[in-house]
Amino acid sequence: MDQHSFIKLVNPFKDKIYRVAKRLLVSQDEAQDATQEVLLRLWTKRSKIKEYRSVEAFAMTMTKNYCYDKLKAKGSNNLKIVHNNYEDHSGNTSKHIEVADEVAWVFKLMEDLPEQQRLIVQMRDVEQMDNAEIAVALQMNETAVRVALSRARKKLREELIKKRNYGIS
Amino acid sequence: MESHNIEKLLEDYFEGSTTLQQETKLRDYFTGDNVAPHLKEYESMFTAFAVASEETYDRPIVLPKQHKPRYRFMASAAAAVIVGLVIWTQGTQVDNRISTNYENEEVAILKTKQALGMMSQMINSSTTQLDVVEEFDKASSTLFK
Repeated sequence: MDQHSFIKLVNPFKDKIYRVAKRLLVSQDEAQDATQEVLLRLWTKRSKIKEYRSVEAFAMTMTKNYCYDKLKAKGSNNLKIVHNNYEDHSGNTSKHIEVADEVAWVFKLMEDLPEQQRLIVQMRDVEQMDNAEIAVALQMNETAVRVALSRARKKLREELIKKRNYGIS
Repeated sequence: MESHNIEKLLEDYFEGSTTLQQETKLRDYFTGDNVAPHLKEYESMFTAFAVASEETYDRPIVLPKQHKPRYRFMASAAAAVIVGLVIWTQGTQVDNRISTNYENEEVAILKTKQALGMMSQMINSSTTQLDVVEEFDKASSTLFK
């Protein structure tokens, strides 16, 4: 496989790798590094790519593993992730500024979810992957995915209702 | 879409039992402009998901240069150098080895004896230098009786 066909192969899901990495690592820079690293690893394994049923699922698993390792290293260094890039970079949503604030709040709430739930919400609600795909990517069974998903969504709802009732921010 | 229907979908949604199509429906409803007032608090959640899905990876994909053809070139160059070296050394090899072929057997024996004798002489002269070490023994025997 040459570079050209490799890039063509990964193009449909490179953004997804980035978004999933960013959901876990929060920082934009680190997520970009992670994406580059995952693509590079995929490139070195290109001769085996045909053996995998879904390259995308394989890439997702690699992303998850890479980010978990990063987070673990960070945890042992006692570093807290500094996050200051909540502003909406897409720039093409028609919603107003007050909604943008609330959106930033939701992202912050997602950050407080356990890593696995964060990943599942990202994959399901943002990337719109089905539970079977998520199960493959995260090496879990489908029931566990559904349970974790429900838990994560309820947690988000709970926090949002709390905010509405008490106005905590 | 009537909000009753949405409420039912939301209920299923939080149980994790909605399908992807139903979730798209929810997302469309909450990112639209006609959200019922009592459902407003869910608006930010679905908008957040929609916003998050629009992020893209803008950096170019950097891949290492493909090495295969270059390796082949390097291997053939190395092989050529080795072959050249072998031919060259074969050509310039002069007979500079120590000659061990004496015509006369007696001469050979004598030469060998001579060489061995010289060697034992050298060893003897070096062992005599070790006599000094005995002085240590003497000194220690006078001290520790």
